[in-house]
Amino acid sequence: MNDKAVFAQPMRRRTFLGGTAAAAAALSLGINKSWAQSGERIKFWDMVWGTGQSYTDAAKGIADSYVAADGLLNVEYQSIPWASWYQTFTAAGAANTTPAVSSGAAYLPFYFMEEGKMAPADDLLASLDKAGKNDFLPGLIDALRTKDGLAAVPWSIDLRVLWYRKSILEQAGADVPTDWQSFIKTGEALAKAGHVGFATSGYGFHGIASVLLNNAGGLFNEAGEPDCVTDRNIEGLDFLHELVAKQIIDPYAIGYDYSANVVPDWASGHIAMGFEQVGLPGKMPAETAADLVVASPLTSVSGNKGAAYWINPLMMFKTTASQQSSEAFLAHYLDNLHLFWEQGLNSDLPVNKSITDLPLFQNDPNLARSINEWQPVGKTIAARAKYPFGALNAVDGGSAMINMLQKVLQGESNSRALLEELQVGLVKVLNP
Amino acid sequence: MTYQLAVHRRTPRLGRRLTLTGLALPALLLMVVVNAYPLVFAAIQSVHSGSLITPGPFVGLRNFADVLGDPGFWKAAGFTLIFTASAVFGSWALGFALAILLKPQFPGRGAFKVLLLLPWIVPIVVTAMSWNWLLAGRESLLPSLARALGMGNVMFLGNPTLAMITVCVFKVWISYPFMMMMCAAALESVEASIYEASAIDGASKWQQFFHIVLPVTARSTYISWILMAVFSINDFPTIYLLTRGGPLEATSSLIVLAYKTTFLDFLPGNGIAIAFFMTAVMIALSVVLLRQIRKASLQ
Repeated sequence: MNDKAVFAQPMRRRTFLGGTAAAAAALSLGINKSWAQSGERIKFWDMVWGTGQSYTDAAKGIADSYVAADGLLNVEYQSIPWASWYQTFTAAGAANTTPAVSSGAAYLPFYFMEEGKMAPADDLLASLDKAGKNDFLPGLIDALRTKDGLAAVPWSIDLRVLWYRKSILEQAGADVPTDWQSFIKTGEALAKAGHVGFATSGYGFHGIASVLLNNAGGLFNEAGEPDCVTDRNIEGLDFLHELVAKQIIDPYAIGYDYSANVVPDWASGHIAMGFEQVGLPGKMPAETAADLVVASPLTSVSGNKGAAYWINPLMMFKTTASQQSSEAFLAHYLDNLHLFWEQGLNSDLPVNKSITDLPLFQNDPNLARSINEWQPVGKTIAARAKYPFGALNAVDGGSAMINMLQKVLQGESNSRALLEELQVGLVKVLNP
Repeated sequence: MTYQLAVHRRTPRLGRRLTLTGLALPALLLMVVVNAYPLVFAAIQSVHSGSLITPGPFVGLRNFADVLGDPGFWKAAGFTLIFTASAVFGSWALGFALAILLKPQFPGRGAFKVLLLLPWIVPIVVTAMSWNWLLAGRESLLPSLARALGMGNVMFLGNPTLAMITVCVFKVWISYPFMMMMCAAALESVEASIYEASAIDGASKWQQFFHIVLPVTARSTYISWILMAVFSINDFPTIYLLTRGGPLEATSSLIVLAYKTTFLDFLPGNGIAIAFFMTAVMIALSVVLLRQIRKASLQ
């Protein structure tokens, strides 16, 4: 039988088309069935934090150990890679396929809150209060509170503290800095000995944020509008210009990538001092890690103390099948967070006093100093604004801040002009 | 009788058409969903001022006007032109030269070819990382060499001009194997007898190259230019993995700028407007080069 013979038979054609329609219907029913089935569990999306797969296994273990009370839904854990994570979340937001509960980057909840996609966490906080489990460290809940309610609950903090290499400072005959003046002195001694005194890449503005916030500066006014050209910020940039001019900052840093260049430079001893994550030793060889020490917060030129931190949130979306289930699961998850630190699976700081009081934190001088001295003076980049807002996502790592950082690293020293340019850049992203 | 035959024949032909249409329909629908839907959605977003989640208010052509009025766009357009021109002509010149050198049979020719293909075969993440190690740091090989030669601190990725040159050289380096293969295939189409005949007529090697090799391979050359131009204008990873468009946006091409505007500055309307401008340029470029191909085919 040739193909013409097949096409010439209308019954067979109809059979084929009918069969196709039947297959499509069956497929559709199948899909509907699987949708229905997935509705029996709420979804928990979790980024790959801390130590990668071992962290993910532990997080999945906590989620799997959750047994929902009568009338509530169980949970399904899904690990979300950091690659293209904005696209993952925003595409889900646009398609209304966000999970019930999720971890995420620091400012993501505010973005979704403004889009009306988030379920505020005020009731969850109230239930934690009632159960006597609201022991979040000071300032963290306030930093997550928007004018429309609590955007998320915190679960860890990416805090930037001043690390130094003890042996290198000793070799260079430099003292541990206590304020900006002594920081420059120490930096000069290190530069003379061929070391870098202020670690930074050309694409991360955490170092600049640490300096500005240390000096009680900030990018916004109380209303959350850009307000960059202030005395505190000018002093902060002047300080950075001095570090650049005296080669305390590596002249090559402008072309540096953090993972490819800055981390190896810490490991090799080329970098001897800088604002870094609390978990820096975890990225280093054992010998280098043992030589790393956290200094006390610096007193800035204006007499202030401050630190930059990013609060990692757990957030609830309105796409949940049951808000009560979302809250019940999150309460369970928060209850078990201590496992991450007890098992050495998280390099950021915990957010609960019950965990930071554990001997594993208080017996480690670097962690104890980070918690007891740095965390209380920590601020987010929304500092000075009454409420955080969604556009912080565009400020954190956006072009305006990176361009200013690169100009500073290139040696442009007119602080006021740089801040005016930053102001224009921030106005553009805040008021599109 | 004739009429009856016609009717008899038309029915199965119509049926066949219907069946073919039915068979093609799922694929057509898939094409529409995969290609047309995102394009239409992007067009809608480009005339709205919204977020990555909701389109926001209608703003007409304001995003396009904003983009055209932004000096950053023109800076990126300029770099895209430099990047594309150096990628197309740099990799073509190098690829053509190597294809000619590798045309005669000699021992180890196959091994040479494989080695020369490596920059194209190795994943871009690996090559970008190896170039970073070679160039970025104070102790990297090339800056160390430059210091040893008394040139001081040469910052290949830190100085805007040097970074532009570095990115273009990197692009030529990863692209020449593709051009070499295209040129080698085209050179195979030149009959040996043509060279012999021209040699008998007294043509020099240069005359053979300009009057035989180039015209005969012109069609393939134009096709490879179109492909490389489109690859280069759309090339995000080569630039982003090496410099992220910096320093000071010196190596931001239009595709990098579109990405940054959309996903780092959270201005999707502007980012998509940039992408539409790029599409228009690529279509215009393709039309011009396709005409050249047609002309070359006729000749």
